[in-house]
Amino acid sequence: MRKELRLIVNGQPYELYVKPKSLLVEVLRNELGLTGTKRGCESSSCGICTVILNGMAVKSCSILALQADGAEITTVEGLAKGGKLHPLQKAFLDYGAYQCGFCTPGMLASAKAFLDENPRPTEIEIREAINGNICRCTGYNSIVRAIKAVADGEYKEEK
Amino acid sequence: MNRKYSVIGKSHIRVDGYAKVTGQAKYTFDMVLPNMLYGKILRSPHPHARILNIDTSRAERKIGVKAVVTGKDTLGRKNGAWRRFPELCDEEILCREKVRYIGDPVAAVAAIDEEIAEEALDLIEVEYEILPAVFDPLEAMKEGAPKIHDHAERNINVTRRIEWGDVSEAFKDCDYVIEDQFHTSSQAHLCMETHCAVAHFGYDGKLTVWTSTQSNYYIQVLLADMLGLREGDVRVIKPPTGGGFGSKFELDSAQFCAALLSQKLRQPVKIVLTREEEFIATKRKTPMYYYVKVGAKKDGTLLAKEVRVVTEGGAYTAMGATALYLTGFYSSLPYRWPNYRYDGYRVYTNTAPTSALRGFGAPQAYFAGESMIDMLAEAMKMDPLDLRRKNAITPNYEVPGQAYIQSCGLKECYDAIEKHIKERGKLPPNRGIGIGNYGFMSGGIFNWFNTPYAFSAAMVKINIDGKVDLFTGACDTGQGSDTTLAMICAEELGVHLEDIRVHAEDTDLGPADLGSWGSRETLMNGNAVKMAAADAKRQLLEFACAKMKPNVVYDLDIKDHKIYMVDRPERYVSYFEIVQEAIRAKEGQTIIGRGHYTPHRKGMVSPAFGFGVQAVEVEVDPETGKVKLIEIVTAHDCGQVINSVAVIGQVEGATMLAAGGGFCEDQPIDNGKILNPSIGDYKVLRSLDMPKTVGIEVDTYEPEGPFGAKEAGEGLTSPTAGAMANAVYRAVGVRIKDLPITPEKVLRALKEKEKLKEKK
Amino acid sequence: MICDFEYFSPKTLKEALGLLDQYKGDYKIIAGGQSLLIMMRQGLIKPRYLIDIKGLSELDYIKSDPQKGLRIGSLITHRAIEKSPVIKESFGILSEMEHKLASIQTRNWGSIGGNLCHGDPAGDPAPVLITLNGTLTLTSLKGERRILVEDFFLDYFETALEPGEMLTEIQIPPLPPHTGVAYTKFNVIENDMAIVGVGVSITLASINGHCKEVRIALANASPRPMRAKQAEEILRGKKITDDLLSQAGEIASQEADPISDIHASEEYRRELLKVLVRRVGEEALLRAKKS
Repeated sequence: MRKELRLIVNGQPYELYVKPKSLLVEVLRNELGLTGTKRGCESSSCGICTVILNGMAVKSCSILALQADGAEITTVEGLAKGGKLHPLQKAFLDYGAYQCGFCTPGMLASAKAFLDENPRPTEIEIREAINGNICRCTGYNSIVRAIKAVADGEYKEEK
Repeated sequence: MNRKYSVIGKSHIRVDGYAKVTGQAKYTFDMVLPNMLYGKILRSPHPHARILNIDTSRAERKIGVKAVVTGKDTLGRKNGAWRRFPELCDEEILCREKVRYIGDPVAAVAAIDEEIAEEALDLIEVEYEILPAVFDPLEAMKEGAPKIHDHAERNINVTRRIEWGDVSEAFKDCDYVIEDQFHTSSQAHLCMETHCAVAHFGYDGKLTVWTSTQSNYYIQVLLADMLGLREGDVRVIKPPTGGGFGSKFELDSAQFCAALLSQKLRQPVKIVLTREEEFIATKRKTPMYYYVKVGAKKDGTLLAKEVRVVTEGGAYTAMGATALYLTGFYSSLPYRWPNYRYDGYRVYTNTAPTSALRGFGAPQAYFAGESMIDMLAEAMKMDPLDLRRKNAITPNYEVPGQAYIQSCGLKECYDAIEKHIKERGKLPPNRGIGIGNYGFMSGGIFNWFNTPYAFSAAMVKINIDGKVDLFTGACDTGQGSDTTLAMICAEELGVHLEDIRVHAEDTDLGPADLGSWGSRETLMNGNAVKMAAADAKRQLLEFACAKMKPNVVYDLDIKDHKIYMVDRPERYVSYFEIVQEAIRAKEGQTIIGRGHYTPHRKGMVSPAFGFGVQAVEVEVDPETGKVKLIEIVTAHDCGQVINSVAVIGQVEGATMLAAGGGFCEDQPIDNGKILNPSIGDYKVLRSLDMPKTVGIEVDTYEPEGPFGAKEAGEGLTSPTAGAMANAVYRAVGVRIKDLPITPEKVLRALKEKEKLKEKK
Repeated sequence: MICDFEYFSPKTLKEALGLLDQYKGDYKIIAGGQSLLIMMRQGLIKPRYLIDIKGLSELDYIKSDPQKGLRIGSLITHRAIEKSPVIKESFGILSEMEHKLASIQTRNWGSIGGNLCHGDPAGDPAPVLITLNGTLTLTSLKGERRILVEDFFLDYFETALEPGEMLTEIQIPPLPPHTGVAYTKFNVIENDMAIVGVGVSITLASINGHCKEVRIALANASPRPMRAKQAEEILRGKKITDDLLSQAGEIASQEADPISDIHASEEYRRELLKVLVRRVGEEALLRAKKS
């Protein structure tokens, strides 16, 4: 039996009816069409499905959608504001912090939640922040450099 | 060399970048078409069995199920990328009589959703007669071993010999001869986007397939053949692809089953492999048994090398036959061996088929080879770097009967690495720096696929506003080839990167191209693109010349939207103006340039080779055997750099993949079953495990490459495992000859060493 | 594929316990679900009723008292423990352990109670809680009972929870003076599941005194998180030396009952235990002297 679910995703409130077994990632992708968030495994190990839920990075494949009832969620689609890229997105572009791009939405979500909590991190803290996200292309170091550049104030949020 | 470029040689934001950092990039995985069905594949639970009967009736009756297909619904053809050799096309994809590995497909279902399709799989009843199976290639080669394919005696799939000089005689002249054995493990590609396809077979008899692939041309040809269609009736579109690494240029079960189901139903069908299927039933890296014997003169001259290799082929040929050839060739690099002999055997086993994984036989060759060079240096009491440098290939060298090497920056690489090692000074206890070096192809010359087309081709179309459409068959799987080719096009045409639109995703639009493997794209496609751009430029210059009326001793070129006299750059006309006039003069036709590239008179392997030397620093915990990667420094020669940021990405990404293979990635198999088919159990390097990396590009110019460029992606996976093994030896004095170098193996070796010491 | 189930999200503990009582035998409790959903996806667990307690704010607390020690509601997330100033101050080992548990994403959503009730012998919290002499409160409609953490685990993925019962609180007594606690897990990849893990707490009689009390707990060294009691015995009452710690390692390695799997052989796990018990013991001793 479907149950009511209320979510605020990227600032937009939604009211949905979902099967209890629906995972948050399934609702985001299939019901809301937010396919920026990907899935990469069945074992909660790759981090590709990471989104920001009430300010925290979480794996949307490992949360029942109903458990997120009432939550505010940010996905990769919600990072850019008013047609302006988020500083992390700009840094990812400049530092080549993506290749195939499939892990990038989750990587950005982890990075954003982390910098919101810890704006002046050390390199090791950045590595800890994205340790739950597998990237098979870049070898991570360019991602670490991009996040560091944002933390160091190299990129400003455009208003 | 003084080369002034306006586009290449710098860092550029990739042409696919904005879509990828905003989540707007739409992968096959994300696609939904109207009226689309979802497919699932039933796979063999047995490593070797005869199919006696398949009863699909219960599954077909299930509500929501639209079709079930088995081998009986196919034309019974066998698929393979080695199309010049029919017996090597040995994979039916949907098995008709026999299954040969756990994961071999036997049926596929299309239903209105994934859940129903998956439930329907449970309703298909397959009656098997279980056959004896064999898993290890050395066992499979023995007389009386279970026979996996009727045509293959002793399960030998392919053999290769490469030979020059007289190895047996030469060993007699050596002052030092050592021999040893090695084993390399399997590795999963672990593309973050699993293999997937959406197939739509229309009522017009035409098939369109969207798929995550490294070669839309290969998929087009192979699908057409398997389904009995003309190539032109199969259109393959490649949306952004979530990684390939060698796993996505053969026809796979998602593509074939989706197409077959759609052909039956005339509705779009989407199949996405699960992560578990990805582990057990897509191709994987080829494990190899390596026997190596090397000999040298007292003065450090390498005289002879003999290599015998048996590879675990798995159930089918795949591109594993190419890996067998290449590993034999790479075993001779990057040294000037006057005498060399390689004998390779690829053997069928009842395991998941093995094939290419970023390096295509090279990492295996260099693990064994570079370990041996260090062992030889130790026996000779020579510095291992000096031994390498003394024998390394130099520019304009011919590998006898195999390859002509023009540019080679190994010398500069050795100098850079030597400097780095000196700067590190004396290391603390249990630390060691090991080195490894490599040479790697810039695209293969071989054509076992039997394409009648040029290996690469490109078309450049200049429109009225000066915008340039670049049509190519190159497949960007994340490495950045779209951007590299756009940069080459812009440089040659004298325009900006922003002026170029790349169309590389569609067999209906782009020319045939073999795809993105073997480090082909920069050199082969780059040459085709450069030629196409030059062709278009020549047409513009004709009009410009008529307008500028220069003295005939002057020639024209284009740079930064200016068409100028090469020796009088202050005299120029606007590119945009000339484009408009040229199109008007051509009765309104756009300017079209064509280019193509197929290597000729460049030997058997590749028209050019990238080279590099890597130093890996490790720290070993002598009580647990744990190896910690401290730093990896790579000096490499990729010719002229096109996109700097992309080259750095290749160095770091390759290092991560290769270090994982050397360190922890493995696919243990028990009775044909891969024991770790999940990312939880298959360990890969993550951000905390990744060491500091330094990439040093040495400056060379490759005459065969576009603007002097050559490969910079795959070869970099080659030196790492060998360098790690050498580093562990230098740190704690034990040599691991069996990949991956796990803590358990290191500790066992340390204990054995301890025991030996006690005995003495 | 996750099976269909009926879903309840009780808002109070009482309501939750009522549901457990009502659907005895056919339910599964989900808290953060970080382990449960994996097993459900694999079809290993197919509950008819899923009772979601994630929203029970009654069980979301950390309370610290110098006399009574620490009380943690079972729904506290790993991340909350890791970040809690109170826990960092009084039981730093818990923060340290949590800091290396899986990924931030998992720690943000997964709860300490869910982790314990999953009963994975490779989990990190159990051995640390055992070294801290923790207890658990199990609650049902019938009332509450207390159980030592070390007695809670029965076998692989099997705990002492009875049908109708729920883990509601974790208690840790105050550390006696001159006590040092340390935990280390061995893995090839950072922050991965423990190939083996070792927790040691040492209480000295005085700064440089003999060992008054010691607890050694092992992760992934037997079908359940275990205490290495024989190894403890050799240290208790003695002046701890390197040699004695090595002996403790040898004994712990013998009393353990590790498996061979794809990640390590039994022999290797035993070797690791020898080394880790000594090393973690040294660290705990150092901390005891400093405390």
